[in-house]
Amino acid sequence: MNLETQSEVPLHELPSLEQLIGMYRTMYLIRRFEERVNELYMEGRIPSTLHLYIGQEAVATGVCANLNQGDYVLSTHRPHGHSLAKGVSPQSIMAELFGKATGCSKGKGGSMHVGDIDLGVLPAIAIVGANVPIASGTALAAKMQKTGGVTVCFFGEGAANEGAWHEGLNIAAIWELPVIFLCENNLYAASTSFSKTFKIQNVAERAGAYGFPGIVVDGNDVLAVYDTAREAVARARNGQGPTLIECMTYRQCGHSRSDPRTYRARDEEDEWKQYDPIPRYRNWLVDQGKAGAAELSHVESDVEQIIQDAIAFAEASPEPTPQDVYLGVFKE
Amino acid sequence: MTVDILVPPLSQTADTLVIVAWLKQVGDPVTKGEILFTVETDKAVLEVESPASGILSAVLAEAGAEVKVKSIIGGIAEPGEVLMVVEPGGETLPPERQNRLFASPRARQLTLLKGVPLADLQGKGTGPGGLIVARDVAAYLEAQRASPKVTPLARRMAETAGVDLSQVVPAKPGGAITKADIQSSVNEGLGAPVPPSIPAISEPASPQTPAISAAQVVRLSPTRATIARRMTQSHQTTAPVTYQREADTTRLVKLRKRILKKLTEGTIRPTYTDFLVYMTCRALARHPALNATFDGERLELYESVHMSMAVDSERGLIVPVIREADSKGIADIAWERSRLVEQVLGGTIDPDGLVGGTFTITNLGTLGIDHFTPIINPPQVAILGVGRIREVPAIRKGKIRTRKMLGLSLTCDHRVIDGAPAARFLQELCSLIENPDLIWL
Amino acid sequence: MAQMTIAEALRQAIREEMIRDERVFCVGEDIGIEGGFGGAFTVTLGLSNEFGHDRILDTPISETAIAGVAIGAAVAGMRPIADVQYGDFLFCMMDQLANQAAKLRYMSGGTLSVPMVMRAPVGATARGSQHAQSPEAFFTHIPGLKVVAPATAYDAKGLLKSAVRDDNPVLVFEHKLLYGSKGARSEKGALSPVGDVPDEEYLVPIGEGVVRRPGKDVTIVATLLMLYRALGAAETLSQQGIEAEVIDPRTLVPLDKELILASVRKTGRLVIVEEDNLTNGWGAEIAAIVADDAFVWLDAPIKRVAAPDVPPPFAPPLEREYVPSEQKIVDAVLSIL
Repeated sequence: MNLETQSEVPLHELPSLEQLIGMYRTMYLIRRFEERVNELYMEGRIPSTLHLYIGQEAVATGVCANLNQGDYVLSTHRPHGHSLAKGVSPQSIMAELFGKATGCSKGKGGSMHVGDIDLGVLPAIAIVGANVPIASGTALAAKMQKTGGVTVCFFGEGAANEGAWHEGLNIAAIWELPVIFLCENNLYAASTSFSKTFKIQNVAERAGAYGFPGIVVDGNDVLAVYDTAREAVARARNGQGPTLIECMTYRQCGHSRSDPRTYRARDEEDEWKQYDPIPRYRNWLVDQGKAGAAELSHVESDVEQIIQDAIAFAEASPEPTPQDVYLGVFKE
Repeated sequence: MTVDILVPPLSQTADTLVIVAWLKQVGDPVTKGEILFTVETDKAVLEVESPASGILSAVLAEAGAEVKVKSIIGGIAEPGEVLMVVEPGGETLPPERQNRLFASPRARQLTLLKGVPLADLQGKGTGPGGLIVARDVAAYLEAQRASPKVTPLARRMAETAGVDLSQVVPAKPGGAITKADIQSSVNEGLGAPVPPSIPAISEPASPQTPAISAAQVVRLSPTRATIARRMTQSHQTTAPVTYQREADTTRLVKLRKRILKKLTEGTIRPTYTDFLVYMTCRALARHPALNATFDGERLELYESVHMSMAVDSERGLIVPVIREADSKGIADIAWERSRLVEQVLGGTIDPDGLVGGTFTITNLGTLGIDHFTPIINPPQVAILGVGRIREVPAIRKGKIRTRKMLGLSLTCDHRVIDGAPAARFLQELCSLIENPDLIWL
Repeated sequence: MAQMTIAEALRQAIREEMIRDERVFCVGEDIGIEGGFGGAFTVTLGLSNEFGHDRILDTPISETAIAGVAIGAAVAGMRPIADVQYGDFLFCMMDQLANQAAKLRYMSGGTLSVPMVMRAPVGATARGSQHAQSPEAFFTHIPGLKVVAPATAYDAKGLLKSAVRDDNPVLVFEHKLLYGSKGARSEKGALSPVGDVPDEEYLVPIGEGVVRRPGKDVTIVATLLMLYRALGAAETLSQQGIEAEVIDPRTLVPLDKELILASVRKTGRLVIVEEDNLTNGWGAEIAAIVADDAFVWLDAPIKRVAAPDVPPPFAPPLEREYVPSEQKIVDAVLSIL
């Protein structure tokens, strides 16, 4: 896989210009959101720890560009990118990180449980692997309801060693459920490297064990991700069952805010920075004449403003009251 | 037979000692007279000898522990005897829980609702492990209905009139049998036709000494016998010292007049005794040592003041108790005092109303007495005798005025209350009497 | 009105709800297989013939997937009735029940719900430790889950229907010896109570208990098989002049506290009977509630009659010692009189 240039595999269908710019906007939004949130955390303004998505933006963006509002997304403890890519408002996510009552989970969830069920995004699930059978469940519902909807289940490569993962994949296979299992292989599960926990070379190999296709793709190439995901989504909508897509990528930040990353070589980190998906895509857009530098700068400053507004909104929002602790357990 | 190892009373002042060290371990042989352990008093470290020969079989208090004098802290067994485990005794329980009555919550609720004194049910529990349970309260109430209490006066009357008490139904259902009930019974012809017995007992005169015949021999009523017994006990066991002082009640008299004017119709008029009860409670709050009981070994201080009031009745001196007098206002004290007096005089006083006092007031002022030496009402430690109010000339601010002086006689048990504390209490009380405004503080 | 066993009543409930609401479906192991048993205890027998295999879903041996699929489908608008073959297997899907089903609504700030049912057979039946647990207590302790335990045919049908219609995760505990399953799946030593079930539509509300037998001397609280043992003990006690009031809570979460408190206020004595291990069982919770809210009405210590703190044994004499007997209940009552 040549990670330096944009994918050379011809795209089956190039997205529209609007979509192309849109994907840049989404990636930039995710990047800046995470960077800003990191700064806020360092300033002590955010109560919880954070699991940042910096470096993996192309995955969420490329996949979610293929989804409709009614399609479901299951996410993980590293969910900001997925939620933003699916269209959850930066304001509601920011307010949730600040623990305010206006947050997408009303302050009850925090960073690891952001989501918006109206956009099909379940509160992210922080038990590694547990979201996989649930994703099979939402896919089953879509199949039973004949909506043509699909479910994307994001997880890291570490999840592929959880029992729940295997059960979820198998049942999706036998029932031919419309679900895309999206593995973000960033080579490290917290501090443990891939090579220590897998005897195989790629997680995608396991899909074959359950009887459906598994594909490896350059996770830092947003168009490659987009294209692969588009095919998998089409398969699912056509009733052809699940696909496992393994996006090779790299987490530029630590696992969480309390991770000094001493288990990775700085050389390795520097190398992957060269494959940063955002400048890579920006360059492609400009080189291919899809967008001018000025236009992209405009998009970027738009994004800065959006994030600024989100922070202002979060800060101005009220905190939940102590009585709110008792609400929202059961539906009456 | 295991011989108990007791903490010897080696301290002059304290009733606890600290164990410094054991010179033997459990299982070691000991000889009588051998030094077994050492204790520390407030003055010195002393050695204690073994009370017997044998094997040290138990050590209940370790070095460093503070132990009560005469408590058991170990045992010596005969050689070959099975070493018994001695249960740590009730020393570990705080005093107020050592004599706890075990009753179920439901039973306790019932006693409160029905006005049954829980203490009456002691030993009558039929629940698991002898627990007092609801049915025991019910049984008690049933028995009450079946055999009501009898006032001492009624009992004497019944005896004299030959009335069978089991035949008498009290006028008040669930209440005690009173003199009136006996009277009605007699009227109804339930009395035996036996003339009141005035036994004439004359000793056969010995030839040498001239016979002294009694004019009348009166058998002691139960009340009188009780009084005799208690007065003897008080006299023989307590160490009474009486402190006398006069208090200027001029302001109090004026205050009382003003209060009386403000009273509504039907309210009981507070007497000087009532005022004294009120003020004594305030003074006792600052001198709690006098609001206590002492049985010769244990001194118990009380949070509340249960004021015993001496009442002269035809049966003799009866002393009913105003419970929690310290939490009552002057009107309540007056009301309760008058109610109790009425019950005493009418012979309807509940025996429970005669116990539990923590301090006594006795007033002989109305009978012209200035000062006297009241006798302590055991197990209390102090009693206040009140004399009469006299008009006395006094010099105030260089002028001769008349002041109303009240004689106060305070007797305290010197076993537990020294002269200075007693005098300070009296000083406080007089201060309150003389400056009633100080009540506000 | 018809007489039916609990298995039949449950089957009827599922059937009626599936007819009434096309979102209802069943998912579990061996529940719809052609020529199969209709679940380990015949509850789903015949349903796949009527509703097809797209609504009676047979799964691989994948408890986590059964639960996860039910949760996901419920969030996405379906109303699944999932089941485990033995209550002990609930532990296999514990993360899905405790961390996902119970918490998803709360974590979403109340914006979504998980309207699923999980059925589980419980009770010792000479199958050994791992097929015998009565694990209700584990689930009564998880905020976000409701727990019911019907002991009669009437309650089984009414409560299961209520559970399906409830918008929250509901665990339905059924006792193996009370199903009344027939034929090859019948249980040795089963009680098989048969009861009246009305023909017309009815529901038993979740959160309401019932007094099975009124009395004035002692309150006995028991569920499932223990209810019948308690009723037996009450008969024995009655011959000794002691009248026991036997309460069937029917729902463990949310508990009908007032029913129990009112009874204890009347009798002053409480005995709780459960087939689960004694320590930290749901009986302990009821004892704590009563000791708190009805303290002054108690005339005796609160007693629990439960299985000893050991895994369920196999040999019949051991199992008889493990599962609380009528005699043990009688003895407990006598000890506090």
